[in-house]
Amino acid sequence: MAPSILVLGTFAIAPIFYALFLSFQKVQLLGGIEYQFAGWRNFARLVEDDRLGIALRNTAEYVAIVVPTQTILALILAVTLNAGIKGKNWWRIIYFLPTVTSSAVLTLIFMWIYNTDGLLNHFLAFWGLPTYNWLGDPAVALKGIMLMNIWSTAPFFMVIYLAALQDIPKSLYEAAALDGANQWEQFFCITLPLLKPVTFFVVAIGVIGTFQLFDQSYIFSGGTGGPNNATLTIVLLIYQAVFRDLQMGYAAAIAFLLAAIIISITLIQRQFLGSEKFD
Amino acid sequence: MKKEWLNFVFLAILVALLLIGCWNFVLAPASDKQMPVSIRLGGWGASPAEQTLLRQVLQDFEAKYPDIKVKHEIIADQYMDVIKTRLIGEAAPDVFYLDISEAPFLMSQNVLEPLDPYLTPEFDLADFATPLLESFRYRERLYGLPKDYSTLALFYNKQAFAAAGLTAPPRTWEELLTYAKQLTVDLNQDGRIDQYGCGVLPDLARQVYKIEAFGGQLVDSNGYAAFATEAALQGLQLLVDQYRLDRSSALPSDLGTNSVDEMFGRGKVAMIITGNWTIPYLNETFPDLEFGAAEVPSINNKPGTMLFTVAYVMNKQAEHKAEAWQLISYLTGKEGMQKWTSTGFALPTRQSVLAALGYARDPLRAPLIAGIDYATPWQGGKNLSIVATNFNNQLLSTMLGEQPLKQAMVRAQESANRQIRANE
Amino acid sequence: MARRQLQFDNWHLVWFKGLIYVLLILYAAVTLIPFLWALSASFKPLSEIVSGEINFFPRHFTLENYRQVFLREPLFLRWFFNSAIVAISVTASNLLFNSMAGYALARLQFRGRGFWFFLVLAVLAIPIQVTLIPTFLILKSFGWLNSYQGAIVPSMVNATFIFMMRQFFVNFPQELEEAAQLDGLNRFEIFWQIVLPLAKPALAAQAVFVFMSSWNNFLLPIVILFEPEMFTLPLGLNTFKGQYISYWNYIMAASMVFTLPALGIYAFFNRYFIEGIALSGSKK
Repeated sequence: MAPSILVLGTFAIAPIFYALFLSFQKVQLLGGIEYQFAGWRNFARLVEDDRLGIALRNTAEYVAIVVPTQTILALILAVTLNAGIKGKNWWRIIYFLPTVTSSAVLTLIFMWIYNTDGLLNHFLAFWGLPTYNWLGDPAVALKGIMLMNIWSTAPFFMVIYLAALQDIPKSLYEAAALDGANQWEQFFCITLPLLKPVTFFVVAIGVIGTFQLFDQSYIFSGGTGGPNNATLTIVLLIYQAVFRDLQMGYAAAIAFLLAAIIISITLIQRQFLGSEKFD
Repeated sequence: MKKEWLNFVFLAILVALLLIGCWNFVLAPASDKQMPVSIRLGGWGASPAEQTLLRQVLQDFEAKYPDIKVKHEIIADQYMDVIKTRLIGEAAPDVFYLDISEAPFLMSQNVLEPLDPYLTPEFDLADFATPLLESFRYRERLYGLPKDYSTLALFYNKQAFAAAGLTAPPRTWEELLTYAKQLTVDLNQDGRIDQYGCGVLPDLARQVYKIEAFGGQLVDSNGYAAFATEAALQGLQLLVDQYRLDRSSALPSDLGTNSVDEMFGRGKVAMIITGNWTIPYLNETFPDLEFGAAEVPSINNKPGTMLFTVAYVMNKQAEHKAEAWQLISYLTGKEGMQKWTSTGFALPTRQSVLAALGYARDPLRAPLIAGIDYATPWQGGKNLSIVATNFNNQLLSTMLGEQPLKQAMVRAQESANRQIRANE
Repeated sequence: MARRQLQFDNWHLVWFKGLIYVLLILYAAVTLIPFLWALSASFKPLSEIVSGEINFFPRHFTLENYRQVFLREPLFLRWFFNSAIVAISVTASNLLFNSMAGYALARLQFRGRGFWFFLVLAVLAIPIQVTLIPTFLILKSFGWLNSYQGAIVPSMVNATFIFMMRQFFVNFPQELEEAAQLDGLNRFEIFWQIVLPLAKPALAAQAVFVFMSSWNNFLLPIVILFEPEMFTLPLGLNTFKGQYISYWNYIMAASMVFTLPALGIYAFFNRYFIEGIALSGSKK
């Protein structure tokens, strides 16, 4: 326990306290670091920045769609793969491929799938569905990023669910079967309740991961968040503030707003899913 | 089972710690004072052929100066973010690449070493093209020596021109627009256009000369965005109208490509406006393509293009400044520059090297070289990144037909200036 | 009546199974096709990749990309070695520390337990972009820039997996631990001998994820590792991105070989997600 506190303390918590300190400063970073107390000015700027509202709206929409979809998909995949399927191992490896694929390859793959003449449009046209300019059209750009993210993170959560399913005693199912419960009843009365703590984790990490969406929107928009702010996310704003403008104080203020949102959602979620132990 | 796990975990930690320990032990004597001085050189990645070339130039340098060793550090991605972070931590390379667009910001931050005191008559500073040097001057001091440069030129597909009965590249923007319409064709009659006239990139880096064509400006003298004026809009309107009304140009994402170079190489567009870097790329990747180059067509009867360059700059914190200067002066000196630019990846910034390599007689490179006399340097004060981010964000939405140009540019300008003010 | 019900169930089951296999295959296509395409792209010359055609089999099959990336790169083995050292040490220490911390948060009654949990959440909620520069300054003050310690120590503990382990431990039946306590085992013995063996599936999942995230880690290494000799694989293999033009053929080849070790680790630990109860003996 002591080493983990030490490492977390040094490399996770100290930077956060440093950031907290910075959020009340105006910082000159280059050419010798200088601080100048700024009071609440960085936080006041949050209210004035209209891009923040847009980023929040984009991010919230993204979270609201991606988190439930990827959680349910991961659960379905895990339960299916955990049932008596032939060649379990192979399915599990194939399904995990999107998560191991590196982000550079993912980007190229999706350029190939999403381009106007690409795989997805061919597929949609084949079924007589409308096709889109997935990369260029701001109305669908965020949707494209959502699809890509669900595809690549669902296997991650699938593995966590798979691990959790191993810990459910078989005896419970045997007892339920003796009592005449069918498979659906077993799933809803045994599996789901026992997975509650893990679901709490999966949803919480999903919320954190999606609220911190950055890579894809950075790659798709070249770091601008365009067109017309359609792919602007909170972390993209933070990134711009830190590295483009070197405004660490303001970046830290946005980060604390983000953290406050994430933590409140997680605490609310806890009320519903309850992290308390099952007995 | 549990024992195995435990053993595995402990063994792995032990091995790791031992290795770390040994490593330090091995490394420690290596930093002995008797060794030659080592200079850290930072830059971004490139094609394997270009990396090999640079490696050779550096080896030649080390052969000539045996008591200096060069440690070439490639920063694979997000170059400026990494450089800024390392500068803040006072751990940046001694000598590193600096793009023209980022120069005003870094020069104003007191992290670069002025190079004037090191200049000698033999170095022959006057040999450099003046606009290139001016881009790296701040408050009367020179902070960087440009290693190579490029302007933009019009590249056209000769086969497509011949098929459309066009014999020469356009000289004015009106001609370009007319030609582009003729070159926009549905070759196989399937109702979808197979070849567009122009491939365009709605990116500020490629558009500033259009803003200036009718007397507009990108930023005012205080570094605030000032491009939402009638004069500036008139130039940009050319880009938007060609795309929206004539429908004779295409964006890379329209055609499922990553860049204008790729669209051109694949024959999806007949003309692009791009720089020297495209020439080796096209020759290597699309060897069958026949293409020519010409100066960018004049807008409003004025020639115009963009100027891009990268300089070697010295870190103010560099420990061995004399040796760092040796490296810079070799790489940007006549001998080193000739080696670096001899294979055509880049154009030399020294007039003497340019003459020696004869690029002015190369039909593909002559228009790029001619452009330097009237090119707009890709700079816009120290807030350029804020200006460019907002501009690109909004211009793209105009191209997509979401809002009229004027509204988009007013929005971009206001948003950029709000951020600049808040940062001050 | 009972007989008919049974027949209906059988018929129902066959359909259901068939449907499941169809869905399994469809989803496998969704995950496999893009990967196979990337694999085939790594055998294509750049001109064929950017040609935009949807061809699965390279028309101009070439090994040149791999040759360029591995044979002509003198440091490839060194980078592989660096990545392996960092990833293995990070995985080992994470397995140990995260599990202990997670267990403590799930079970031990110490003061401020709620606060610690809250802190773990807060650590997760602050994006790395904000903490990167402070972390860099801390490593610099330790003199750990451009070193293995610098690459390993900040990742030795991971709040995500402390949280995950806590969620797993919370679900464990306490009776077993109570029984062990009656047998005279202390907290540590209970943790080592009873709890950890039960947590094997979770540990396996954690091992896979930690290894992968360390193996793929880019942002911190690119800032703190300067010299080519110290690069990890993603840094070394990503130098094919030019200022204006990206060499996708080399990037694809590099990424493919780069992906294999992570996939191998997953395939190895995969069996622990299947076993579990059967091996860990009677539970509850």
